[in-house]
Amino acid sequence: MKIPFRADFLSRLAVVLLISLLLLGFVGPSLPVGDPAAIAFGPRLSPPAPGWLMGTDNLGRTMLPRVLQGIRITFVLAATPVLITSALAVVIGMLAGYLGGWFDELVARLADVLFAFPSLLLGLILVAIMGPGVRGITAAIILITLPLMVRVVRATTLTIASRDYVAASRVSGASLARLLLVHLLPNIAGAVVVQATFTISVSMLIESGLSFLGIGVQPPVASLGSLVQNGSVYLVQAPWLALAPGFFLALAIFSVNLLGDGLRDRLDPLEVHGLK
Amino acid sequence: MGYLRLLRFAMERLASALLTLLGVSILVFTAIHLIPGSYEAVMLGPQAPEAARERLREKYGLDDPLPQQYMRWLLAFLGGDMGIALCRSQQSIGQQACENADQAPIIAEFARRAPATIQLAFMSAAIANLVGIPLGILAGLSAGSRTVRGSSRAISALGMGIPSFVLGTLFVYVFSVHDLGLTVGGYVPLSEDPEANLRAMVLPAITLSVFGTALFARTTRDAVLTVLAEPFIMAAVARGETPGQIVRRHVLRNAAIPVVTVSAVNMGYLLGGAAIAELLFSVPGFGWYVLAAIHKRDYAVVQAGVLVAAVAFVGVNLLADLAYAIIDPRTIRRGRG
Repeated sequence: MKIPFRADFLSRLAVVLLISLLLLGFVGPSLPVGDPAAIAFGPRLSPPAPGWLMGTDNLGRTMLPRVLQGIRITFVLAATPVLITSALAVVIGMLAGYLGGWFDELVARLADVLFAFPSLLLGLILVAIMGPGVRGITAAIILITLPLMVRVVRATTLTIASRDYVAASRVSGASLARLLLVHLLPNIAGAVVVQATFTISVSMLIESGLSFLGIGVQPPVASLGSLVQNGSVYLVQAPWLALAPGFFLALAIFSVNLLGDGLRDRLDPLEVHGLK
Repeated sequence: MGYLRLLRFAMERLASALLTLLGVSILVFTAIHLIPGSYEAVMLGPQAPEAARERLREKYGLDDPLPQQYMRWLLAFLGGDMGIALCRSQQSIGQQACENADQAPIIAEFARRAPATIQLAFMSAAIANLVGIPLGILAGLSAGSRTVRGSSRAISALGMGIPSFVLGTLFVYVFSVHDLGLTVGGYVPLSEDPEANLRAMVLPAITLSVFGTALFARTTRDAVLTVLAEPFIMAAVARGETPGQIVRRHVLRNAAIPVVTVSAVNMGYLLGGAAIAELLFSVPGFGWYVLAAIHKRDYAVVQAGVLVAAVAFVGVNLLADLAYAIIDPRTIRRGRG
């Protein structure tokens, strides 16, 4: 068993960046950085200055605490649906891969149908049904990311289920639950963790995209995506309003992608055991 | 024999694509009916007398059972009748209601707006291919160097990580403040003034192409690495082929397969991403129209737009499957997935 991130500079960089971003997002707002909601905290559309390190917006609100809150909201809104997607996909994918038959066929067909929607459009139509806001985007992200996750779990389950020890356990009378939980789950966990990491970056892209289009999070909640949208109105007079949250958003997705790469090299059983 | 098998494979894929689209159409139809607010309430407003509502419901058969309404909608759609938009012109996103109710057939509006979106998609796909594939080949062939490995990993994580609207916003800022020859907005059709058209389309195309470029570079690199580890490469080296011959004859041909698959993935991204690029750079395209329709709750347009996009996406995937089978006949025997 190798220790993750032993010698890999980029993966270590990703961990450092992610921890810094999480600290900024979760601890930052409670530091004395000013009240994010206070109107006329400073002059309107002021460039970054000692009292307001990221400048002020059109209402004179200081941007720094707003961006810090945005980082937190972005991470929370990306991680929540990914946890739900992973849990659902593990159950559905393992059952489909292990049982096969009509259930497997049904799952594969449904995944095909969901795959046939370009992801942003699927998000748009779901938000149209459920209304803009956190509920709508969470549902959208789950439905967009579920099919790929189910496929990964199913494919991994198929390779593991054909191993001798699984057959041995089955013929010696192990229950379905025992087979799935004891023999399959630990062996697919690596693939799930890797895929879940990439899914976090996908859901950040979807959430911020929908919020940028004005149908994601609604005021007073602000994610990095909706901050970019608000700021883009004053792009020429006050570019920092859109570019600062945009920078942190790109940094967050970049770090998650790097971490995913690193984890894949270490954890993906198909890669590690040379099955691919 | 080979052709017969290919034909059979093509028919199977086609049938499966049609089945998928049928599923999509049912899902879209059901989804639209789940949205609160009935058609007559939207058209006539809350004050309308019951008799008027009754007449409208009767006119469009809204009291019929849903399966019957679905069949009618599907048949009309297949015949090219996508319904009528609530609003004729959907210029700005912010504007919530339509000014007047002079209605336009949706298909005419789609046809008017399609060229801009298709041009945008083609330009971005071309940029992504022309930049991403050579980068990926270079990265794959020089993967022995740690610096190349690290930097190609970092660049692809960045390219796939920067949201198109963040990059687009940056472009809008830089190119509005400085006069660098490319215009932000100011779209004119290609047929009217090709030069002005290209000036306006280059920025949205680049914005839209970054994700695809990173995707192509990464996939090509991984594919090249996989092929390089195959025994037939060692055999070719032993036969005394030059590196150039090996790359041309063995590496590129075998690495082409995953790249074709990824082209289809990229196409799906382009379909959705085009809406954002069109919005940022004021390109009057298909994506922007559907986006504006969502804001205005013009569900007939949304319904038609989603279905048209799904048809395009499934069609591209079908083509990718067939290309697969032609490049690598083993696919047919192996099946997929």
